[in-house]
Amino acid sequence: MEFGLTEEQQQIREEVQRFAENEIVPQATAFDEEETFPHDIVDQAAEMGLVGSSIPIEYGGAGYSTLDTVIIAEELFSYDPGIALSILACSFGTEAIMEFGTEGQKERFLEPVAAGEKISGAAISEPDTGSDVSSVSTKAEKDGDEWVVNGNKMWITNGTVGDFFVVLCKTNPDAEGRYNGFSQIVVESDRDGFEADKITGKMGIRASDTAELIFDDVRVPEENLIGTRDAAFMQQMQFFDATRAGVAAQGVGIAKGALRNALEYAQDREQFGQSISEFQAIQHKLAEMATETEAARNLTYKAAWNVEQGNDVTKLASMAKEHASRTAVEVANEALQIHGGAGYVNDFPVERFYRDAKITQIYEGTTEIQKNVIARELLGKGF
Amino acid sequence: MKILVTVKEVATVEDEFEIEGTAIADQYLGEDLNEWDDYAIEEAVQLQENGVADEVVTVTIGPEDCEQTIRQALAKGADRAIRVWDDALEGVDLLDVGAKRSILQEVIAAEDPDLVLTGVQSGDDSWGATGVSLAEELDYEWAAVVNHLEHDLDDGIAAVRRELEGGVEELTDVELPAVLSIQTGINEPRYASLRGIRQAQRKPLDVQTLGDLGVDESAVEGAVTLTDMYEPESESDVTVWEGSADETASELGELLRDKGVAP
Repeated sequence: MEFGLTEEQQQIREEVQRFAENEIVPQATAFDEEETFPHDIVDQAAEMGLVGSSIPIEYGGAGYSTLDTVIIAEELFSYDPGIALSILACSFGTEAIMEFGTEGQKERFLEPVAAGEKISGAAISEPDTGSDVSSVSTKAEKDGDEWVVNGNKMWITNGTVGDFFVVLCKTNPDAEGRYNGFSQIVVESDRDGFEADKITGKMGIRASDTAELIFDDVRVPEENLIGTRDAAFMQQMQFFDATRAGVAAQGVGIAKGALRNALEYAQDREQFGQSISEFQAIQHKLAEMATETEAARNLTYKAAWNVEQGNDVTKLASMAKEHASRTAVEVANEALQIHGGAGYVNDFPVERFYRDAKITQIYEGTTEIQKNVIARELLGKGF
Repeated sequence: MKILVTVKEVATVEDEFEIEGTAIADQYLGEDLNEWDDYAIEEAVQLQENGVADEVVTVTIGPEDCEQTIRQALAKGADRAIRVWDDALEGVDLLDVGAKRSILQEVIAAEDPDLVLTGVQSGDDSWGATGVSLAEELDYEWAAVVNHLEHDLDDGIAAVRRELEGGVEELTDVELPAVLSIQTGINEPRYASLRGIRQAQRKPLDVQTLGDLGVDESAVEGAVTLTDMYEPESESDVTVWEGSADETASELGELLRDKGVAP
């Protein structure tokens, strides 16, 4: 059993810390307030290779493993979740292309993302399709050598800044079984009939772009279909282990960042003639926060490591995601409590962490869905 | 053209710290690549990217623990690294300029670079003398506190701009081979890319002892001893007001009147 990180992984962590401290932290409050996408920071991050780091080296990425990307996500999220998500989400959807794409598709779609020239996205959720993915109603119909896409997608990360989206569409309405008849089709945002409406007023991760996508007779060439026609549901499900480990890492990062801020504040803030970190009430809070964060981290790393080994980790990935996202919310809550009144305004980052944490319990499968998955695996039931 | 860059892992100190004897207590110390060296590395890597240099080699004096820091330079584009360490160095409290010079000059003799870049100083010991002292010993030309370097290096000449006191700058032509001590701000050091970090793990990092270099152990003993370490007493206070000029100007005015500066 080996719990250590490699020298390379430690070096990645340190360089990401340097980048975040210098480039992200000074601008985090402004991007949160203005609810705008941090294009310049994303460009710099792309130069460093933080965008699409899991894309294979032959397509311009760094070829990083799930555990490597988990470490990067943890570090970036510990400084600012909104900007971190903006950076890491630039390659959303590319996992399907990496796994199921043809050589031509990989060159067309992966290379510009790895180079930071294009931003991708994944479009699954719809106004009436959240946790029940099989209810997707956006449809794609074959017309000659083109697909014609119609429908709406909701809560789509990078919606107004993305260059292309991997869209989950119903391609065979007559297919038997609720998981059959779906395909993943790439829709470029410059196609006629494509429209994106930015969603504003989000509680947290406000630097990250979110939008509703509207497809009105959008025509794309048939070679934009990724993998096997009508088999996308199973294709999609394969990535949940890795992506849930990724969201678990976000939770660990948020908890780590909230703890870091709380520790600093507790040592600086003086009341009754001493710093409040001298009070046992505060010390116990800090101790619990640190312990919970470490537990979430270990669960997350274990899940990521197993993904990397090619093991079946559905249960473990869901456990990590559920536990780490809950830890993020709880630790951010206690961190704010330690700040007292100062934590209730955005003079300190903790107010932002508190708002940002909540999304990790919602996206990529809600807490309730994760528990369903864990229970199903425990009880040996299929899905 | 070959460029050799001297690099060092330096101690960093937290804002609040305590002194124990002649050292800062361990729990307040961290480590990082010397800031000035980061600029020297960037300058060398840019020269390589511009096709002026063929090879960039870094050299450091330090224990195995510092390898991770030294690999930062490899991740940013240096081709290989040399680390000098020896049992004889373990017990040395303070490695002075003479000792560093004795070691580095042998490395330079073996590598025979056209250009040696050092940082102006190290962030912890701040001797500020290693580069110049090396040049003197090697009979190389030198320029200190360089904040601009022309990248053509035509006819074996390095055209440099040096920072003098009081905002004055000087333009100088230096004949190669030369030692240049590099000032911060000469460029904008890059972040190591993820691919660079990966590649750095496979780049050569050669470890040499004093014996390998032919340096006598007595050379590292040095003539300087650290006798005391203390925080200088502050002779004045600083008052900082937070808020807009509108809100704080009158408070500043009052303070200036109190201190007798303003009527």
